[in-house]
Formats: sequence, C-alpha cells, structure tokens
Amino acid sequence: MADVVTQMAATGGKSLRQRQNATHIGIFLTLILLWELGALMGWLDPLFFPAPSAILTSFWRIYFAQGNIWYHLYVSLGLVFAGFTAGSILGIGLGAVVGMNGLVRRFLQPYVIVLEATPRIAVAPLLIAALGFGATSKIAIIMLVCFFAPFINTLSGVINVDRDRMELMRSLGASKLQVLRKLVLPEAVPVIMAGERLALTSALSGVLVAEFIQRDQGIGTLILTYTRNLNMASAFACILTLTLIGFLIFKGMEKLDHHIAYWKNEAGLRRVGAKRAQAWATAQRGQSNA
Amino acid sequence: MKMFKSLLVSTALAITAVPALAQDLTTVNMINPLPRSTNFFPLVVAEALGYFAAEGVEVNLLPSDTSIPYVAFVQNGQADLAMLDPVETVNARLAGANINTVFEVMQNAPEAIGVLDSSAYDSVDDLAGTTVGLVSDRDRAFLQASLDVVGKSIDDVQTVVLGESGPTLAAAIRDGEVSAISGAAPDWIALNANGINVRLITPQEMLSSPANTFAVNADMIEEKRAAIEGFLRAWNKGMYVAKVNPEMVAQALRLGVPAEWENEAAGQLFLDMSIGMNVSTTERLGDLQSDVWTALQPRLLSSGAIPELVDVGTFLNDTYIAAANDFDRAVVEAEAAAWLAANQ
Repeated sequence: MADVVTQMAATGGKSLRQRQNATHIGIFLTLILLWELGALMGWLDPLFFPAPSAILTSFWRIYFAQGNIWYHLYVSLGLVFAGFTAGSILGIGLGAVVGMNGLVRRFLQPYVIVLEATPRIAVAPLLIAALGFGATSKIAIIMLVCFFAPFINTLSGVINVDRDRMELMRSLGASKLQVLRKLVLPEAVPVIMAGERLALTSALSGVLVAEFIQRDQGIGTLILTYTRNLNMASAFACILTLTLIGFLIFKGMEKLDHHIAYWKNEAGLRRVGAKRAQAWATAQRGQSNA
Repeated sequence: MKMFKSLLVSTALAITAVPALAQDLTTVNMINPLPRSTNFFPLVVAEALGYFAAEGVEVNLLPSDTSIPYVAFVQNGQADLAMLDPVETVNARLAGANINTVFEVMQNAPEAIGVLDSSAYDSVDDLAGTTVGLVSDRDRAFLQASLDVVGKSIDDVQTVVLGESGPTLAAAIRDGEVSAISGAAPDWIALNANGINVRLITPQEMLSSPANTFAVNADMIEEKRAAIEGFLRAWNKGMYVAKVNPEMVAQALRLGVPAEWENEAAGQLFLDMSIGMNVSTTERLGDLQSDVWTALQPRLLSSGAIPELVDVGTFLNDTYIAAANDFDRAVVEAEAAAWLAANQ
C-alpha cells in the first residue's frame, strides 16, 4: 500500500513538473512570438530590439557560416577563468588570514574598505597603463572584479564561526590546524562558495570591461564592432551567448557547491553517507576475510 | 563555404607565421583606437599579402579606448607607434613629450560633423544654441575648431558625449535629441547603411586636416629605424593596392574582418569611404604636410583646443618617408592580382 502511495506521489510530482515546464516553454514562446510580431509590425525599435528571427540568423552566421565567434569566445573565456582563479585565490587566502588574525584585520580593514568603495571600472585604464597591454592587464582587471566577493564571504564565514564550539575544541586541546579543518572550513565553505558564484558571474562583466578598453580580441571587442556598425542582431547573438554562458556557469557552480558543501543539503549527506557506508562495509569484509 | 575559406586563410596565416617566427621578426607595437578594421585597410591588406613578414616585422596591434593616454605608451616604450590626431600631437609636445610625427596615415580628416539629412541645419553656424553629440571626448576639439571657423565658440553649443555605441548615436540623431554629431567616418557609414541618412556640414577649412598620424619616441628614431621603415613600407604597399586593385582590398577585408562585412553593401560603403581617407594625396605616400600643420594650428589655438602654437619643425620628421616609398609598384600590383585570383 505504501509503495502504491509513493509511486502515485512520484507520478503526480513528475506530471506536475512536466506541466510547469510546459507552462514555462509556452510563456517563453509567446513572448518570442510577440517580440517577432512587434518587430515585423514596426512597433519595436530595430536599433534596440532586432527581430528574434534576425538574431537566430545571426547565431547561424557567427557560429557556423562565418564561424568568427569561436576564437573570440576562446580568448574571453580563457581570460575569465584565469582572472577568476587569481581573484579567488587572493580573495579566499586573504579573507582567511584577515578573518583568523585580529591584528591583521585591524590594520588591513581600512584599506580593503577603501578599495571596495573604489569603482573598479574607473581603475581599469590605470591598470592597463601600469601593467601594459596584453593578457596580464586584462586578467588583473578581472581579478580585481572577482576579488571582493570571495574575500568578504571568506572573512564573514571565518569570523562568524560558532564561538562556543571553537572554545570547546580549544579546551579539548585541538590544534589551530584542527580547528581550521574540523570547524572553520566546514562552517565557512558554503558562504565562500556563494562568493565564488558571484565572482565567476562578475568575471564575465570584468572581461567585457577589459575588452571594451583594450580592443584587440575577445567577445567584448566583437560586440563593440557589431554595435558600431549597427548590426544589432549579431550584437544580440553575442550578448545572448554571454547570458547563456553566465547561466551555465552559475548552474555549474551551484552543482559544485552541492558537491563540496555536501553536509548542507539532504541529498549530499545521503550520497556521502552511502559512499562511506559502502567503504566501511568493504573494509569490514576485507578484515573478516583476513 | 565562407567558414571553410576563413579556416583556409587562418591555416595559411598560421603556416606562414611559423617560418616567419623562425626568421626572428622584430615586433612593432602600434596603439590605435580600433582593432583590425576596414577603416585602416592598409594593415589588413599588407598582412594578407605577407608584406610585414617580408620586411622582418611582426605587428602587435594595441587597439585601445581613447581614455588610454597613447603618448605615455610611446614614451615608456610599450608602443613604438601611436596614432594621434593633431590636437593630441601639439598638446603632447607642449607637455614636454619627446615625440616626432613621422607619417600621415590619413591626409583628409575622417572627423566630420553630421546632421540628419532632413534637418534644417546647413552649416555649423546653425548649430548655435543646440545640443551637439560627441562620439568621444576627442571630438570636442574638432567641434571647437569647426565652430571657430564660422566665428562661434564651443560655448555657443551644448555638448554631450554619446559614446561609441552605434544604437545610442543613431537614436540620438534620429530622435532629435542632438542637432548634430561630431564624430568620424565609421559612425556616418553605419548610420547611412542603416537608413538614417546623414549629411556632413563640416567647414571646408577643416577637411584637409591630417588625422591618425603616426608618432614615435624621438629618442628611438635611429634604434627602431629598420623595423619602422619596414612597417611603413608594408603599410604603403597596402595603401597602394587600393589605388590599383580595390577588389583585392575588399576580398582581403571580407576574409580578415568578416564582422564588418556581414552586410556587403555596408562593408563596401565603409571601404569606399576609407579609401578616400587612407590613400595619400601627397606625391610620397604618408608624407608630412608642414604647411597644412602650420595653417591648422591657429584655428586650434583660437578654438581653445591647444594653448599655444608649436613650431612644426620641432616635431614633424620625414626621416622614414623616402624609405617607406621605396618599393616596386609593378610587383605590388602583380602580387595583389595573384592573391585575388587565388582567394576569390
């Protein structure tokens, strides 16, 4: 009987999900249709809203017929990941040091606040002037854009660790490393991961800023070329490509977050629990065989 | 098919680049406002024909927003050549920058003041009391000088920097938010190609102004002589091809900068306009016109674009021009024709 109820619930849940998906797709297609109609009838300004059919044609052209977007995408994504990695390492590393050391925090805090208040985009031309042209200065711009979210989140994750538990661990003679591994990191990781998600999506904005200033190559340069020539359909195709990449990055980071901070969600706990149980059982079997 | 051609050209470029690297090429770093573009077709054509590599030169383009101080990059050695306009050149000299202008890329100013074709504005004089859009801050000086020609000053108009975004420029002029736009050739081409017809009302006196001239660090003239002469010779060959074989230029651009040629008519219009600006009117290609620079400065001075006059002899330096023109025209013609036959 219980099986039947579970099965019915599962079937009901599935059909509800299907209905929801169908509704989403319906709304999306209606909006696109209205957009196309608006463009056809001249209700929408083609300078700002090119017809979806024109954007679709542009997708075909830049990806397949001409194939000119691939190289620019490759360049931009390379910069995004390099800048993100550098910004994350610096942000998490410095955040952890500042969070765990009151003295460092006292001295560094004012500089960090000033740096955070400084608009990063305004600093970009200065960074290029200081570091010269090429990938280094672009990566530095992206790094700067990516730095603060991991830094602030790591700092807050480390500072907001449960004091009572920390005192307990210390009174039981836990070393600093043990406190870090067993208490601080597990509590801070979900917050750090949230910062990483933010940083990776802002890295896309960072690469655009860098490429709008240094216009040699990359998706930002391509967008500039298209908008300068009023080829808005192709510019939209590039922008939608970035939107899709941003979405995929966000979803990917969400999955990674679930994987790393598994103790924060039910499914993760079950997965790791099952894995550990299996490992334990294997070890037991090995022992009894011996 | 186009993709296949692009791949073929890329592969060919990659293959030719390998022996070129083996030849130990000298890198010439050049800072300018645009990436490879129809607007500067001599570069694309010379690259397609392998002229830079043949001169032992590798071009490293540093296209940058005009918010970057180009002169500083020439002075600190990050750039060997900087594309400057006359106002930047004179102001840099006055600020003590030790630069020399060695080549005039464009002898007919690409800058212009455009109004909507259907508007009532017939001359710059009519713009008094209206709001004029600037594509970038650089265009303020050109507007100042143009207003000065008709006895007006920059204070007689309101100015607003619109930025380089095509839709913003197009909407601003189409919807009457600005009476005119002070910008450059690519801006007008995009508008005209998209059905927003623009009429240019630039004063005649401003049309012969040199633009996008190459400046170098005066201290490096001898040290960089071989590389820069080679670079300018290759550039001149690219420029010369447009005189004798514009179809080859168009095809090189279709393959080299496909993003500007998605609309064939717009690409061709862009090229026609760019040929007019890039092909030198002087006997020696890229030659320096000291009389034009001398005549230009009082206008820039009275418009406030420059604070004082500078003796052109202190910064115009034609030391590379003879060598840059020393090439066999017939060979270039034959090479361009052969390239076109192979790439059509």
